Parts: sequence; C-alpha cells; structure tokens
Amino acid sequence: MAIETGPAATTGAVLEMQDVVGGYGRMTILHGTTFSIRRGTITTVIGPNGAGKSTCFKAIFGLLPLRSGAIRFEGRDVTGWTPRRLLEAGIVYVPQGRNIFPELSVRHNLEFGAVAAGPHITDMPARIEAALDRFPALRQKADVQASTLSGGQQKQLEIVRGLLLDPKLILIDEPSIGLSPMLVQETFGILQDLRDRGVTILMVEQNARSALEISDEGLVLELGRARLQGPARDILNDPRVAQLFLGGAMEPAA
Amino acid sequence: MSEFLAYLIVGIATGSIYALAAIGFTLVWQTSQTINFAQGEFVMLPAILVLLAVKLLGVPIPVAVLIGAAAFVLIFGVGFKRAIVDPMLPHGVLPLAIATMSLAIIMKEGAKDGFSAEAQSFPSPFAADTVSILGTAVSVQFIMIIVVAFASIAALQWFVTRTRTGRQMQAAAQNPNVARILGIPVERMVMLTFIINAALAALASFLISPIYLAKFSNGETIGLFAFIAAIVGGFNQVRGALLGGILVGIFDSLAAAYVSTSYRLAVPLALLVLIILLKPEGLIGRKEERHV
Repeated sequence: MAIETGPAATTGAVLEMQDVVGGYGRMTILHGTTFSIRRGTITTVIGPNGAGKSTCFKAIFGLLPLRSGAIRFEGRDVTGWTPRRLLEAGIVYVPQGRNIFPELSVRHNLEFGAVAAGPHITDMPARIEAALDRFPALRQKADVQASTLSGGQQKQLEIVRGLLLDPKLILIDEPSIGLSPMLVQETFGILQDLRDRGVTILMVEQNARSALEISDEGLVLELGRARLQGPARDILNDPRVAQLFLGGAMEPAA
Repeated sequence: MSEFLAYLIVGIATGSIYALAAIGFTLVWQTSQTINFAQGEFVMLPAILVLLAVKLLGVPIPVAVLIGAAAFVLIFGVGFKRAIVDPMLPHGVLPLAIATMSLAIIMKEGAKDGFSAEAQSFPSPFAADTVSILGTAVSVQFIMIIVVAFASIAALQWFVTRTRTGRQMQAAAQNPNVARILGIPVERMVMLTFIINAALAALASFLISPIYLAKFSNGETIGLFAFIAAIVGGFNQVRGALLGGILVGIFDSLAAAYVSTSYRLAVPLALLVLIILLKPEGLIGRKEERHV
C-alpha cells in the first residue's frame, strides 16, 4: 500500500505528479504532492476538506502556477503548460459545479468545447451529432437554452463537451454534487464506459464509498500530500481511511 | 414630411455613431466590468490626434488618420487596459469607474492645453453633395456615415459570431471561468475587446468630427449619449447597443428640431428614465446573472 515512487512507478503511468508544491497567494496547499496514475483506470481521490484535491486538479490543468515540482503526462513534462496545450495533448478538466454557458443552446455549448483547442478537428459537426445520438437527453434539448437542463444533464453536457476532443485523461471534480442517487449512478456509468474504452479517469468525490466502488484505484490526499494509494477495494476497507473520514488525523503509514 | 425625413436621417446617422461608442462600452463592460466614463473622450480624442499629426508632422490627412488611429488604439486600447483597468479592477468596479472619470478629465483638459480650446474643422472623406430621397435633399455625408457605421457593426458581429477568435472572445465575455477550462486564452481575449473598443471609438471620432468639428469638450455629450444608448439597448449586447444608439440619435435629432435646441439634451435623458422605470434590463437585454 505504500506509495511507489521512482522509475518503477512510471510503468504504465499516464500521469505523474512529482513533488508538486503550489497554492494561492501566500497559502500553500500542495506540499510536495507525488503520485502516478495508471493508464485506463478510474482513480478516485479522497481526503478531508482542504486536503488539496481540487487544487491538485487545477495544478494538473495549468490553472495554478507551481512553486516547484513537475507534472508529466504520457512521459512528457507538461509543467507550466497552458490549458489549451493540455487539451490538445489529451487532458480534459470538468470542475465542480456548473460549467456551461446557460444562455446558449446545448449545441452551441458543445461547439464551444473545441473552439480553442480543436481547430485541427475537421469533423466537429459530425462528432457533435454522434455525441447527441449517444445522449438522447441532450439530443432532445439540443437547440434550447442549456439552462433548461437538469443538474445531471448539465454535468452530462460538460462531460460530452470534453469528449468531443477525444481525451486520454479526464479530470472530474465532484461530479455527483447536487445529483440524485440515480443520476449519480448514471454519471458513474458514463465514466465506467469511458474507462472501458481506454480513457483514464481521475475523479475527486466526497461521495467516497460509491465512487470507490466503481473505481480501480483509490488515492488518499491529506494536507496536500498523497498518503495512500492502492486498489480501490483496499482503500475502501482500510480502517485508517475510515478514521480519516471520521475526522481524526491519519496515523503514520508505517 | 420632407423636413421630418431629413431630421430622421440625421438622427440615424448620429445615432449610428453613438452606437459605435455604445458597443465598445458594452464590450469592455462584459469582459472586465469596466464602466468607462471616459468613453465620450475616447471618441473626442482620435480626431484631435489626427489634426495634431498634421500640424506637427506635416503629413497628409490619410497618413495622419492612420497615425492617429494607431496611436489611439495603442494608448487607449492596450495602454488603458494595462495602466488603468488591470491595476484598479482587483479593487472593485467602483474605484475603476472613478479612475475612468479622472481619465476623462485628463483627456479633456489635455486636448485643450495640448492642442486647442477652439473647435477645429475636420475634413470629411465624403463628397459634400446632396441626394434626393423621396423628394428631400439629404447630405451624402449622413448617408455615408450610416453606411460605414452599419458595415462596421455588421463586420464586428460577423467576427464575434462566425470566426474562431470572435467566438473565443464571446465565450470569455460570457463566463471567463468556463472559457478558461475550454482552453480559451481569456486574458488575450479581454485585451482584444479593449483594442476593438478603441478602434470603434476612433472610427466614431472620424465620422462625427466632420459634422460637429473637433473640440476638446465633444466627449461630454457623446459619452452621455453612448451611455444612455447602452442602457436603453440592454448593456450586454451588440444588437442592443446598436438599437439604443439609433433611438437616442433619432430622439436627439427630432428634439432639436421640434422641441428646442437648448433642451435637446433632456429628451434622451427622459428616454433613459422611461427605460429604467419600465424595462430596466433594456429593450433587448437580458437580466444579468453573475456567479462569483
């Protein structure tokens, strides 16, 4: 269960964080975060509030200037890359909350998905049609304002918008917030389906138990450091994790 | 009737100039919450810069227009954002608005001291002929102002809705946070709106100065009318600002003709009050919803 570091960890790793330090203003959130994510897996990141889960995603997606450390994607050093370059390289970020243009139609929202990073994609209209075919709820509302979508459909729209770019890695932050249990399962189903088609998914989720149940791996962050990483089932059954979520600090992982 | 038509065309012509200023006004508001109280001075100054270039450099008018426009866009597009908006915006909308009020005073007094306190004639690129429309003699000048202003606004609208850069700008204006996660370089897009605002102001300046002469105090009325036009139209839309500008222009022209030249300023203000009372989101505006 110890965190693997060093060259051995790079085998099959699609994303690697190496001693990443960063934060907002004078506040440091990530205190040397190190982990690696295996290709074609769903990894759920859990940890108490303030552990740096969302900050970690922002750092990966180039929205947070790092003080030190390195981020590698598919073996390439992508530290300091702009979101646009990362999108082109195959990373998509779906932050918490509502991230759509509510006044624009669903179709228009999808078109905006590739406006910056996808000039090389020549078959965008066909991709949008195909996506709408796969998600009938979106097809039904393709030409009405996205604000009329339900919470779950809005999240779906954000995921689908990212998929238009054919990503290799999706960073998704709290997809279940505000969704009914049924919609959570539906959203998780979409993620599992993507994983089965080879997309790597890194997810932050408060709803730790149900997220870990559909995940391959679990990653526990605490105070801006990776404390535990391993098969999702092990994380789920680890007594230290339970303790962590009950509010106590984790005992040193011997 | 023929007299009415003439005033109507003059109103549409000046209104389309107010629309240019109002569109720039709403653009910088949308992308960076800048209420530019110096917008009138932005329309006053480019013509002065052109005349200054003629006077100091001895260049012919077309060259001076290019120099004036380039200098203005550089200083009051790029420079305005870097030197005033960027440092002030973190402190809030109000301090920035007050800073633009100060800028207006500096621009006005600067034009007076640095150039002239007198109104100066500004050459028109259009023939001084008149054409007959439905039996009314209408100056070609006004027709051409309408043509040029509408063509520019149509071009801008095409740019914003049909080009990739324009659409990125639109996305950045609607929601910078979402734009960022879609890989849109939000900062560059915001800068672009300031450049477009300065270019529109320069165009408005070159169109209006042949009629009203180039004078340091021209910005007062133009700024007020552009502000009214933006609010009447609905503050956050190009089409709204266009409609607002035209309406204000027509109201002003007809008021000057049929009410009183001394009280003409009150008529567009009355329009403003009516809109604020009856339809505060503007004629074709949408209710503002911001998530912070």
